[in-house]
Amino acid sequence: MGLLKKKDSTSTRSSTSPCADLRTAYHNCFNKWYSEKFVKGQWDKEECVAEWNKYRECLSENLDGKILTRMLEVDSELNPTKQADSKESSR
Amino acid sequence: MVKAYKQEHVYKHPWERVSAASWRKFADPENKRILSHILEVDTLNRKLDTDTGKLHTTRALTIHAPGPWFLHRIIGQDICHCVESTVVDGKSRSMQLTTKNITLKKFIEVEERIRYDPHPENPSAWTVCSQETSIRIKPLSALASMAEKVEQKCAEKFMQNSVKGREVMERICRYMEAESAPV
Repeated sequence: MGLLKKKDSTSTRSSTSPCADLRTAYHNCFNKWYSEKFVKGQWDKEECVAEWNKYRECLSENLDGKILTRMLEVDSELNPTKQADSKESSR
Repeated sequence: MVKAYKQEHVYKHPWERVSAASWRKFADPENKRILSHILEVDTLNRKLDTDTGKLHTTRALTIHAPGPWFLHRIIGQDICHCVESTVVDGKSRSMQLTTKNITLKKFIEVEERIRYDPHPENPSAWTVCSQETSIRIKPLSALASMAEKVEQKCAEKFMQNSVKGREVMERICRYMEAESAPV
């Protein structure tokens, strides 16, 4: 369901993503950093790197490659300047 | 054939809070019931430019979108994938999101652009949200003869969902305001 490689194509409403916990951990870290630091002008360094890396690794193992390719295509249409960046981080 | 719809809404909350609420909109458990059409949201990429204070993010949205009966017949599923690309400019206090569909891209292109900026009359306390949705049916597609109906349905759905989205945003802002109030 969603972005994942799934054999079962019936749609369900529940979140069955194997990366859900890692995603929540990353999003919680991000939200905290955003509210407490970024909007207050503290953008001098990347944070939540560990959470991001774990989450990304899970995504790259589980994402449906075909859908991901199409997503990155559309993303590069929306952001032509960061095309190189996207391709690099999708590996 | 392109149809564009514009909406504007003023949040009586500072830009910092509104932009933070935007990040939380889909994941907030209490609000998931209202935005139940959003099934999954994954972050695919993010980049912080430490010199300019610009944050670039790409997210993948998986949406339950039943659509008109004939769409379901054609694509055989009720799932729609979208890409959301966001730039937050910390220096100028501006947040811009652009969401486009991946599913059925050959037939229809729906693009939603949202901007959150400090309100010109009250920049420290209010935020203006401008939303523009454009719907374009690709001219040579098989759906061309049903274009009007598809467009209409899409637009209605988008309008309904953006009202829900605003409700959720207002709720999160109030919650964050209460959280940050001195005891």
